[in-house]
Amino acid sequence: MSWTVPVVRASQRVSSVGANFLCLGMALCPRQATRIPLNGTWLFTPVSKMATVKSELIERFTSEKPVHHSKVSIIGTGSVGMACAISILLKGLSDELALVDLDEDKLKGETMDLQHGSPFTKMPNIVCSKDYFVTANSNLVIITAGARQEKGETRLNLVQRNVAIFKLMISSIVQYSPHCKLIIVSNPVDILTYVAWKLSAFPKNRIIGSGCNLDTARFRFLIGQKLGIHSESCHGWILGEHGDSSVPVWSGLNIAGVPLKDLNSDIGTDKDPEQWKNVHKEVIATAYEIIKMKGYTSWAIGLSVADLTESILKNLRRIHPVSTIIKGLYGIDEEVFLSIPCILGENGITNLIKIKLTPEEEAHLKKSAKTLWEIQNKLKL
Amino acid sequence: IATLKEKLIVPVAEEEATVQNNKITVVSVGQVGMAYAISILGKSLTDEFAFVDVLEDKLKGEMMDPQHGSLFLQTLKIVADKDYSVTASYKIVVVTAGVLQQEGERRLNLLQKKWDILTYVTWKISGLLKHHVIGSGCNPDSARFHCLMAEKFGIHPSSCHGRILGEHSDSSVAVWIGMNVTGFSLQELNPEIGTDNDSENWKEVHKMVVESAYEVIKLNGYTHWVIGLSVAGLIESMLKNLSRIHLVSSMVKGMYGIENEVFLSLPYILNARGLTSVINQKLKDDEVAQFKKSTDTPWDIQKDLKDL
Repeated sequence: MSWTVPVVRASQRVSSVGANFLCLGMALCPRQATRIPLNGTWLFTPVSKMATVKSELIERFTSEKPVHHSKVSIIGTGSVGMACAISILLKGLSDELALVDLDEDKLKGETMDLQHGSPFTKMPNIVCSKDYFVTANSNLVIITAGARQEKGETRLNLVQRNVAIFKLMISSIVQYSPHCKLIIVSNPVDILTYVAWKLSAFPKNRIIGSGCNLDTARFRFLIGQKLGIHSESCHGWILGEHGDSSVPVWSGLNIAGVPLKDLNSDIGTDKDPEQWKNVHKEVIATAYEIIKMKGYTSWAIGLSVADLTESILKNLRRIHPVSTIIKGLYGIDEEVFLSIPCILGENGITNLIKIKLTPEEEAHLKKSAKTLWEIQNKLKL
Repeated sequence: IATLKEKLIVPVAEEEATVQNNKITVVSVGQVGMAYAISILGKSLTDEFAFVDVLEDKLKGEMMDPQHGSLFLQTLKIVADKDYSVTASYKIVVVTAGVLQQEGERRLNLLQKKWDILTYVTWKISGLLKHHVIGSGCNPDSARFHCLMAEKFGIHPSSCHGRILGEHSDSSVAVWIGMNVTGFSLQELNPEIGTDNDSENWKEVHKMVVESAYEVIKLNGYTHWVIGLSVAGLIESMLKNLSRIHLVSSMVKGMYGIENEVFLSLPYILNARGLTSVINQKLKDDEVAQFKKSTDTPWDIQKDLKDL
């Protein structure tokens, strides 16, 4: 089986016992009686020669290998990757979690730390490796890795650097999990979702950009704050391009089915005496604020990705504003990815909601599409 | 002119009801504090959560970030301040910071490197009742032990049972007689377990508990998930009045012949009143000796502390 070779490689790479023991042991998916001997302070006794406590206690009942139905892999164990991991674990969504990163020390440290928390949550098997073999047979793969924008760097340059990283990532992911769904979180998310789609050659339903899921969450939170209601009961959508050019759909904003536009016909416009438009402005500004204050954002995006994960793994068919190919809608001809309300289920994006937009909102989307295409066109894929 | 809010929402109740609160605070928004926060929020244990720290920017950022995740949580109020007044009337305060300050709340829970000593300090300074000051103690050590046991057997850690007591650190005591799976004592299957004669060298498992913590710190710079998750578990027992048993650190003067006011880990029952009872377990002579010995180091340091 293709497992044994990379596993042995891993044991030779790592000299310390703790990391070796936990990561290596876990990487052998079916919990087998025979183990690869570990170096370090752990003494290994072959099962056949002496009765161990384990063999005395536990009787083997089946030799069938376990099949994972909800394995999730997360590529990148930085703040965002780990926030996604803990959110998914706390919600008990997966039966195996695989983590991949280039920084081996950080990767193993984070994995071990999570594993030690097993008794406090229904923690599944957690495996990790620099090698993508550990992601094999994933139901869902979440990509949070990518280059960070350097000072003065153009967007095109940033994207081109990320294309190089994605080329390696995507080919490995596809090799080991040819039927998985991909959630792209790395920024610029709409462009990178397109890149992932092109490189993976996956059908469009299995490529999902986290897109405006977070923007919408922030929007609903701020609306909730203004009205003194939990964001769950505030319904509003932010669509289009994730970030500064996102589009708030004021016509759809409602509480308990009451459209706010009926109570304030100028809502979202400059004429609005209550200036609700500022709520959207705050959604955009607030991300930068957090980055300025703590260096990055992690918790909100982690929670929002866990929310998408839940819909996919449990086939909930809930509607989320995620980034998908929008060519053919709203008069857009370019092959670009923008966020619109999508039904998410076990096959990924199964349907789109043909939400009605004002001419202004449509124009906004078209403009975004053009900007994205200008960059995408120049990419060497 | 009526605002949109006034047009939409009509008040029905006449005054602000005083609701039983289960508000929780965390002091310090470092890696441990945030791991703890996300564990609490993820498990929906509290109605109101407050962050306190001296670093204002980081504090605000770390408050706003989970706030934006509100849609996916069930905790409406997430607040933060440099000033402790924001935590007024909070039920539980979790201290993860390095430097302690005076608290006036009902209960305290403490996490730090010299955990057991700091628990003692907190108790002294706060003047709270001893069963309201809880040190995270050997809770993570036990968790790690369960994981290593589980790994050896190929089962989930929650089905492995074992106790690590005493001082959180290298001198913790592994109670081998209690180690069991489904009540089946491991010592019955391997009478030498935990001794030097043990052919399977289970003693190493205990050593690895301590070593694996250092390993994580070496690789990652810090440990945080295990603490965060374990403390969330303690909080759950307290807020939901579960009366579950946890291996936490509390004042052990008078137990096992200990004369000094030190904080060590034993199996305690934890519920809404705090640490209400301790499990009276039979320890072997050498385990008691080890337990008593681990009071020496903290007491040596504690007796020299001034301004308590």
